[in-house]
Amino acid sequence: MLQPKLKSKVRCTDLDVGEVTKVILDPLSHEISHIVISMNGSGERQVAIGHVQAVTDDVVQLRVQSRDIAALPPFKREDYVTTHEVEISHLEDNIHVTPGEVLVPLPDLEKSVKRRTFFMNFTHVIGFLIGLPFAWPILRFLMKPMYAEFDNAWLKVGNVSKIKQEDVGVQFKYKKMVKEVYMPEYEVEKNVWILRTTPELLEKVYQGKDLEFRDAKGKTIWTNKKDVPYIAFSGKCPHLGCGFKWRQHKTLGQVFLCPCHLSIYDAGGKVLDGPAPRSLDALPLKVSASGEVEVIDMEFKAGTKSQIRIV
Amino acid sequence: MDMKHSSPAAIPDHQPSTTEKVLAFLDERLGLKEMQAKMLNEPIPGGSRWAYVFGSVLLFIFAMQALTGILLMFYYVPTADHAYDSTQYIIHDVDYGWFLLSYHFWGSSAMVVCVVAHMSQVFLWGAYKKPRELLWLVGLALFGIVITFGFTGYLLPWDQRAFWATLVGVEILDKVPLVGDFIARFLKGGATPGQMTLSRFFVLHVMILPAALMALAGLHLFLFRVAAPAGPYKGTTEEIKAKTDYFFPRQIWKDIVGMAFVFIGLCALALWEPVVLLDKATPDPGEYHPEPEWYFLFYFQLLRLKLFAGQFGQFMGAVALPVVFMVVLVALPFFDKDPERNIFKRPIALIIWIAIMVVIALFTVAAVINREFLD
Repeated sequence: MLQPKLKSKVRCTDLDVGEVTKVILDPLSHEISHIVISMNGSGERQVAIGHVQAVTDDVVQLRVQSRDIAALPPFKREDYVTTHEVEISHLEDNIHVTPGEVLVPLPDLEKSVKRRTFFMNFTHVIGFLIGLPFAWPILRFLMKPMYAEFDNAWLKVGNVSKIKQEDVGVQFKYKKMVKEVYMPEYEVEKNVWILRTTPELLEKVYQGKDLEFRDAKGKTIWTNKKDVPYIAFSGKCPHLGCGFKWRQHKTLGQVFLCPCHLSIYDAGGKVLDGPAPRSLDALPLKVSASGEVEVIDMEFKAGTKSQIRIV
Repeated sequence: MDMKHSSPAAIPDHQPSTTEKVLAFLDERLGLKEMQAKMLNEPIPGGSRWAYVFGSVLLFIFAMQALTGILLMFYYVPTADHAYDSTQYIIHDVDYGWFLLSYHFWGSSAMVVCVVAHMSQVFLWGAYKKPRELLWLVGLALFGIVITFGFTGYLLPWDQRAFWATLVGVEILDKVPLVGDFIARFLKGGATPGQMTLSRFFVLHVMILPAALMALAGLHLFLFRVAAPAGPYKGTTEEIKAKTDYFFPRQIWKDIVGMAFVFIGLCALALWEPVVLLDKATPDPGEYHPEPEWYFLFYFQLLRLKLFAGQFGQFMGAVALPVVFMVVLVALPFFDKDPERNIFKRPIALIIWIAIMVVIALFTVAAVINREFLD
């Protein structure tokens, strides 16, 4: 690409006509489209770059005659803006129109600095060493409340006299005191579904075996005996954790239905339909002689095939 | 002085006013005029269009969300025992509290709508292609931030919708292999949603996300200016050049009209459909059927599919599907190297876009229809 310099003399085929005062760029191609020539005091003319035959250090040679240039209409400055007034990135990338290099002196102290890369890397290392000891405290700071011991206390949830019919889910609401970090202890309302079962359903759920609950070390916390005709299900849907209900279904009869993603379970907690990955979670349950029910409030991770206790 | 008296022509038309002096003082130090010229004089290839208003409109919506959000914080208290009451106080007792909260609420929907429109447009116009790959990537990050804004925002009133949408949302994150449990506990600040969850979502919503959005939006604009607007996908260079104008005044005019429309629309929604809180959050939904915000409904309905049943199905639906979707969007400008931008000459792209929109529409409608069967 031709690089006419500012202040270069402009020479036509017959004689010199003036000097280059401005260069015009094409905003799309980013290339020089015109030069502007100051006609030795008689105005400026805009000449297409196509008319330029050759460019040397200080002369721009045109392939036309001087009278052709003089015959052009005067250059209209108001039709243009400078590259400082318009936002076109990389506009100047392709051109070198400065009349010479623009220089500033290097400060004396900078002249003897040899290992610039070393100092740059050294700065990064120091910055990294400042940040590094902070990473672990920040992580621990944020992780403080994330893991807590399981609470295996028995909670009273109500009396079985509330249950009128066998194999029907009845919701028992109960309060649990929660102590969260610095907050004063507060009550959370929770719920559990309890059924008085027929022997058939009991057999289907327990399949002839007692249900053992163990802690992380494998120690038995409690055993639900297979001959106790009551089952308690955690109120949390094993699909994605919503609260399910006991509902009449058009074709499946009375079922547990979760309104979120429409998982359906039978009275024994088995998945009948919908996206749930496992049966409802049975909880440790105690029924006293007077019919008072107690459960251990456990919560299991939703969405997994196996039970993973989180509370 | 003598010169001035002897030659009337040298006297300026008028003495510079104080304002002009102050402006001149600032301009000398900051280069304001040059900055303003550069901001306004950006050539738009092929000329200004109504279709180009979405970026500016998004910036406007964000500014209004920041303003209304800061105002809400004057009364809102992010604690499990006061969040609900303080939000009710804003709605029922604070002058115009209902209006500012409702504007903020509907503003979040407008944000999601405009982000999807903006992204669709870039996709259909083929504007993500070389040299605008980075612009597209930062845009995707901004999309993620907008979605996270919505997700963290609706926990804050601490009503039933807030509680259950968050509970399910976090359970979905829990399904990420290896790190899911950590992420879920990290966000909840424990095993179950509670005070720590509210604190964490609050910090995310009012500090971390706004800072991230401002930084990335700045980067997005910078990259946009560096790469220059893509312009129309058809027309010769000469035709495009002939129609080119600057950002100011025609495009700014269209942008401000777009902003005014959004503003009027949001005010109207705030007036006619002001925010109503459900009951205070409890771990028992009672008669309430948990449901996410309308723009997540299609996804909520998608997770009801048998296809995504069971542990593996759930992983596919809750984790793999959105991750693959985002990965494809990230990789898009790097495998789609065909410079062709005309959407009618990119049939695969067109069909995929239509298919996604149809799925979103159908599943949203399905979720709405499903509501009736639940009652």
